[in-house]
Amino acid sequence: MSGTLYWMGDAVAFRAGETVAAALRRSGIDDFGPALGELRARYFCGIGSCQACLVSLNGDSLIEACLTPAREGMRLSAALPLAEEHGHE
Amino acid sequence: MSEPDVLVVGGGPAGVAAAIELAQLGLTVTLAEQGSRLGGAIHRQYVGQGESPLAIPGRHRRHWQGLALGLANAGERIRVMVEAVFLGVDGDSRFLLDDRRAGKVIGLSPKAVVLAVGAIERIVPRPGWELPGVTTAGGMQLQLKETGEAPTGAILIAGNGPLPLALGAQLAAAGNPPLAILERGEPWRAALRHPAAAVAGLRSPAHVAEAAGYALRLARAGVPYRSGWSVTAIEALRQGLLVSCQHVSGRTMQHRVAHLALHDGLATNSSGLPAPVVDGVAIVRAGDCREVLGADAAISDGLRAARTIARQLCPAAPQRELARDFERELAAARRMQRSIQTLCRAADWPIAPDTVVCRCEGLRRSDLDSLQGASSAREIRLLGRFGMGACQGRSCLASVKAITAEAGASFDITVADPVVQRWPLRPVSVVALAAFSDV
Ligand SMILES: Cc1cc2nc3c(=O)[nH]c(=O)nc-3n(C[C@H](O)[C@H](O)[C@H](O)COP(=O)(O)OP(=O)(O)OC[C@H]3O[C@@H](n4cnc5c(N)ncnc54)[C@H](O)[C@@H]3O)c2cc1C
Ligand code: FES
Repeated sequence: MSGTLYWMGDAVAFRAGETVAAALRRSGIDDFGPALGELRARYFCGIGSCQACLVSLNGDSLIEACLTPAREGMRLSAALPLAEEHGHE
Repeated sequence: MSEPDVLVVGGGPAGVAAAIELAQLGLTVTLAEQGSRLGGAIHRQYVGQGESPLAIPGRHRRHWQGLALGLANAGERIRVMVEAVFLGVDGDSRFLLDDRRAGKVIGLSPKAVVLAVGAIERIVPRPGWELPGVTTAGGMQLQLKETGEAPTGAILIAGNGPLPLALGAQLAAAGNPPLAILERGEPWRAALRHPAAAVAGLRSPAHVAEAAGYALRLARAGVPYRSGWSVTAIEALRQGLLVSCQHVSGRTMQHRVAHLALHDGLATNSSGLPAPVVDGVAIVRAGDCREVLGADAAISDGLRAARTIARQLCPAAPQRELARDFERELAAARRMQRSIQTLCRAADWPIAPDTVVCRCEGLRRSDLDSLQGASSAREIRLLGRFGMGACQGRSCLASVKAITAEAGASFDITVADPVVQRWPLRPVSVVALAAFSDV
């Protein structure tokens, strides 16, 4: 493994070049937290299309876990609190 | 950064082929790809050390090597931007890219645009498809290509067409073969009923060889291929998923798995894309986002798009003729796709009231049914919020259309409605928007 990122505060190892979603899956994290309509966020299409894998980066912007390369020290958390705040209007 | 002659969106085979050809024709190109590497869905690059444990068919590997060489030779004519997401066209006809590496949105005013954003996988909603642990077959395959590692625990693949076979064989190569591959259609029966389709499929030796390679690997790993089976419901267990399946004969079966991969075919990734001309700027679609014809045809289609643009931008320059067999190649790809569709045809099933239809907004079929009074696509979107979520309807609109058609209403997503057709195609951070700059 070549780096560490943080999912909800927990350390997750990643290999250089891989996406956030790949690192989370290797660590057994399939559930990316609450989503609208009492659903759960999760990896699904892998191509940035379905938006089911949105997570919050450093408590701020929403990124697709399936597209975003893992980087050292990234702090990732569930997207919903942020999605509700900014809404999609 | 200076303004390019042409913006190419999408770094798969179609976009890369188009960019190389445009550069060879003397034009400058910005090639924008949302991921961190080029390659698209078919050539997703392995990030591990050494060789990938998956057997990638030689023809695909050669095609990508050729494109990578073309890119290298084009030098500065092609500016590659990765982690750059095309968001749409703003009111001033600027083409907006979310440049995530720079943390800002930029606006380009090129003379022409190629959109090569590929295909999306169709997934017919069934109860539980929205659960964590359920992915598309292509989605599971992309992570497998990227890491060389199969997910751990039991895996079931349930789908339609050739992609599940490829995924199953690659999972086996990575050391975790699926419990089974369920095919919704009944290809052997269909071949007897439609021999012409079977013959058409056999006319492409490259595809036949690829399929045979996958079948052999699956047979060696002892993976059963069961045709006529569909997944009808998925439940979350404390650990893993309980997957209920049904055969066309009515027989049922359940599997306990850690991961389920679904696939109901490919469709063009075209929702929300701009019209063919915006303020005099020609926008040409190429590859699977124009017509789903597969990886080989995507390269030819990229070349076609490049030459269409070159004819408009440099009418005086000597035109490079398309190879004589170009149309023949597209026709062959079309024949192949039709053959697959005929052989794997399967009826869609009715969508139950509590099935999630729009995952982004967490809306179920019953939410759509309760809009019975709504007669237009606009009302269904504005009142019901179907197609208004983060994915812009890319995942749900086909199902919404099918359900409303059952009720006799029309939900034609091809009719552009300026009120509901909005950019961005993707959520974009407020900070990046605030940092907006023209080039
Ligand atoms: C998930 C998946 C798996 C597949 N697996 C196989 C297989 O195993 N074998 C096979 O023969 N065919 C497979 N196919 C089909 C094959 O990928 C396509 O036929 C071929 O890749 C089409 O090439 P393309 O260039 O048109 O599109 P793609 O290769 O899909 O390339 C499109 C590119 O556009 C980028 N993009 C999309 N939207 C944006 C945006 N808004 N901004 C910036 N960039 C964007 C994407 O990241 C992608 O790199 C698969 C398709 C999918 C969707
Ligand atoms: S998994 Fe679909 S957008 Fe990331």
